[in-house]
Amino acid sequence: MATRSTKTRNSTPRANDEVEASENGAESKNGASRNGTPKRKAVTAESMAASQRDISVSEFFAKNRHLLGFDNPRKALLTTVKEAVDNSLDACEEASILPEIWVHIESTGNNRYKIGIQDNGPGIMKKQIPLIFGKLLYGSKFHRLRMSRGQQGIGISAAGMYGMLTTGKPVKIISKISIRKPSHYYELQIDTKKNRPEILNGKGDGEDIPPGEKGHNYLEKHEIEWVTHYDAPDGEKADEVRSGTRVTIELEGRFHRGRGSVDDYLEQTAIANPHVTLHYLDPEGNKKTYPRSTDKLPVEPKEIKPHPYGVELGRLVSMLKESQATTLSAFLTTSFSRVTNAVARRICEEAKLSTRASTTRIGRQQADALYQAIQNTKISNPSTDCISPIGEECLLKGLYTVVPGEFFVAATRPPSVYRGNPFQIEVALAFGAANEAKKVTREALVQLLNESDARTLRQFIVTTFDGLGPDAADRILKVAEMGTRLSPGKLKAKDIDRLHDAMRNVNLSEGQSMQVLRYANRVPLQFQPAGCAITQAVINTNWRPYGLSQSRGSLPSGPVTIMVHMASVWVPFTSESKEAVASYPEIQKELRLAFQTIGRKLGMYLNRRKKVKQEGERRNVFLRYLGEVATAVSDINEVDRDGLYDQLLKVAQRKTAEADAKFDKRGRRVEKDTDFGDNVIIVEQESPDLKADDDSGESIPVKSQRTFL
Amino acid sequence: MAKKARRQVAASNGAKPKLTKADVKTLQSIRAMADGVVKMAERSRAPHLEVPSRALSNVKYNKSKKFIEMGNGTNKRELFNLSQAKSYMQTMLVGSGCKQLIEQNKTTSIRGMYYLLKHTIDGAKEETFDSQGDCDPIIEDLEVTLDSLREELHLYASNRGNMMGDLTLVDSGVELNCARVGRNGYSIPSIVEPNVLDFVAHNCKFILHVEKDTVFTRFVEDEFWKKHKCLLTHGSGQPPRGVRRMLNRLHSELKLPIYCLLDNDPWGYYIYSVIKQGSINLAYESKRMAIPDAKFMGLRSIDFERCDLSPSVTIKLSDTDVKRANQIRKYPWFENKKPWQKEIDTMLKNGFKLEVEALISKDISYVTEEYVPARLAERDFLD
Repeated sequence: MATRSTKTRNSTPRANDEVEASENGAESKNGASRNGTPKRKAVTAESMAASQRDISVSEFFAKNRHLLGFDNPRKALLTTVKEAVDNSLDACEEASILPEIWVHIESTGNNRYKIGIQDNGPGIMKKQIPLIFGKLLYGSKFHRLRMSRGQQGIGISAAGMYGMLTTGKPVKIISKISIRKPSHYYELQIDTKKNRPEILNGKGDGEDIPPGEKGHNYLEKHEIEWVTHYDAPDGEKADEVRSGTRVTIELEGRFHRGRGSVDDYLEQTAIANPHVTLHYLDPEGNKKTYPRSTDKLPVEPKEIKPHPYGVELGRLVSMLKESQATTLSAFLTTSFSRVTNAVARRICEEAKLSTRASTTRIGRQQADALYQAIQNTKISNPSTDCISPIGEECLLKGLYTVVPGEFFVAATRPPSVYRGNPFQIEVALAFGAANEAKKVTREALVQLLNESDARTLRQFIVTTFDGLGPDAADRILKVAEMGTRLSPGKLKAKDIDRLHDAMRNVNLSEGQSMQVLRYANRVPLQFQPAGCAITQAVINTNWRPYGLSQSRGSLPSGPVTIMVHMASVWVPFTSESKEAVASYPEIQKELRLAFQTIGRKLGMYLNRRKKVKQEGERRNVFLRYLGEVATAVSDINEVDRDGLYDQLLKVAQRKTAEADAKFDKRGRRVEKDTDFGDNVIIVEQESPDLKADDDSGESIPVKSQRTFL
Repeated sequence: MAKKARRQVAASNGAKPKLTKADVKTLQSIRAMADGVVKMAERSRAPHLEVPSRALSNVKYNKSKKFIEMGNGTNKRELFNLSQAKSYMQTMLVGSGCKQLIEQNKTTSIRGMYYLLKHTIDGAKEETFDSQGDCDPIIEDLEVTLDSLREELHLYASNRGNMMGDLTLVDSGVELNCARVGRNGYSIPSIVEPNVLDFVAHNCKFILHVEKDTVFTRFVEDEFWKKHKCLLTHGSGQPPRGVRRMLNRLHSELKLPIYCLLDNDPWGYYIYSVIKQGSINLAYESKRMAIPDAKFMGLRSIDFERCDLSPSVTIKLSDTDVKRANQIRKYPWFENKKPWQKEIDTMLKNGFKLEVEALISKDISYVTEEYVPARLAERDFLD
């Protein structure tokens, strides 16, 4: 929803100002004489016409704010941060600047928060600022086919509008395009009736802030927030922020932690964008920085023309109208990707039209024929350099640094196409991650309990912690000896202690369900998991052969975190709030194939793990019984029990080592290990139960492939 | 447990009870077993035991002696074998338990032994024995391994089985008459070896062994033993070792013939077979327990017609019954006996089994007043 057009040359403001109100002044034939209830005043077509009028986009969205992700105060706050950060990242990447983003959230009391987001992007031209932040459906990204986070040009202006509606405060924007040029400062309001920005400061013209030291003083004097310098190590001179944009929105919202929080969003953003540095200041004054782990910007995606398969009839007609090409053949080759002269000729033949037919003379029927012909002609898939995947290595790196675990695997599918739009699926999986519920500190738990709006304790656990299902919640509460229907806000200190203990001690890996991190064009999706194609594909994939348990129609269970990224020039979201990916069969298929690829590797790992564990257990059987045998024997013939035990242990170890080594045909030992292929991280675990048992100091090697029998 | 056991041994060393010759011998063999483990361990070898096999494959029917004998087959029981490690450990435990009993000159039931040895293994959530069913076969294994009888290990099974009739005996120094010990008769102890139990006098012509106490009570109430001058015994189903040893001694020492009145089903047949030839499981005890001359009186599969029984007292053969019947038919000691093959065939053809209690449907005392006297008079037995 980017509205922020950056200095891209071809972005001309041409978004429709208003949504057409339907059928203005439609006549009703017999509207006058309606014999309903006698008292009711008859409505005539004329009187109706008086109240029929245009609806502005901004009015429409002001009333339907849930469509944009502003359904409740909690979500509104996150959506605002998200829209601003997405825009910043898009702008920086487009300008080939390594993004550095500051997110400041400040409580102004009364459930109001001031959110300031600043980037080091290219900045915005003075003339464009009011339009970008004060007009809905204004942007640079809607009309082109290229992978970007934003799409429609609604997001940030809608956030501003929401802030204005709830607090009455204007949106403040400061933008700097060069270190030598003055920055511009605007305070904006949106005229919702007209979907038009209103500039409040500088007599309707904004303020100019001079560059350099003078400007810094000016900012300070007028209390305009702007980060002037990058963080620098002690003693070194900090670099000045040369350009960038900062938007400050004050809105009514709720700050919370846990699932669907700003913290979560930023963390997940950091996973998928290893080239970004994020500075985060939360309302409690805690500072957190996610430093970039790579200095390489993602490959810049190229803009492509639409692919013929992805164009619908209506669009085709309007494209024909707009086209500057004179002949049909020229139109086809210039307006679409992957259409060569030969392909254009084949399409025209199929449609029984001349290649030299004039585009202006193509009527409805011919357009229809042309449309059908396109569908029936074989056209190669669009080029895929318009999308830039994160890459398996970066995925692994990102997941490994954020999610603890013992096994990591990543896979990137080759690009594919749905409805003529190229897309690419990437997945990464971490196994063995301890649930965050286990790590939570008591203070954090108290805070979470206070912030939660869940009505019961069970609901609290399920909604606050990712990967905890009702089963796990019930187990925790059972161990804590607490009722499932207690109110989270009314717990006594003692109860909280018990709950905290239970959360740390209960084995959650069994009742834990897979945690799915969804991304679309590197943006984490945090809401509506159930309605999302990604979640559905996870559920529809059979994970049982890969060693995970899964009940029908639900996510597999186990300590698994899976990260799914869909990169596309046009991600098909189910709504403007961009919370869930729509389910196209092609997308489902690619997702499934990706899951199967990593599933196989997970299965291999789990098999190996199970085997090692079983062998450890088997070996323990001997170790356990050795003690008993030694005791019994020494009871009978009074030999030294411990001496005998040590001797038996040595025999056991020798026997084990012999059986563990695999021999090849010539009797030489071979070390055979499972081949996992590329892009897998295995964190070797020590077998804890073996260690506990083996007090002789000499341990039997854990990394063995089989035991003796 | 380990420590506890050692402490007890130490305590008992103080006042050493006198050991009998048999005890010394048993102690020696237990000790030899333990020494074997130490020797193996010293030579870095994996310790193992040779346990004579107690399976059907390792028993032979001795045609001349007419009972089942144990073969020479042994199973190796290794400590470093996953499926045998636990039973190896358990065998050693039972050995140390028996040593303790013998040294203190005490006896306990096999259930007592189970409790004596049951404890949680150090550093594991596992019990040495999960149930008594775990422990009993180990005790039997130890008996055969050490070639010692159960009583020599100072163990006994729980008492089961009674006896009624004009027999005077001395049980641990107490003289009693089996006809004057109440309605239930004399309860047969599990150890009835000559030094503990001796016969004094009797006025019996034969022994009638019945399967269960219902029938036994019927015979007692009708004073059958008085009328026919017999000794009545029952073994509550499959007779325990005490009853079988008692029957064997009564037969061999007092020269009393034995007739068995058992249910007409595979289980009844096998009870007879155990009394006559010895059991597969305890084949090593056969020479002390088998009574090759025992006769099978009934019920016979022809009794349904012979006694004109109502179809409602029959019990349909289950699949397991049929399977078991076919197994029994193939045992070497049944295989070449035509009357038995015919008997089993008839039962299978009937498709039902008959319990002795079924005769009650004719008349409460039909079994004592008509059925048994008639069979005795006809001398109609299966052998």
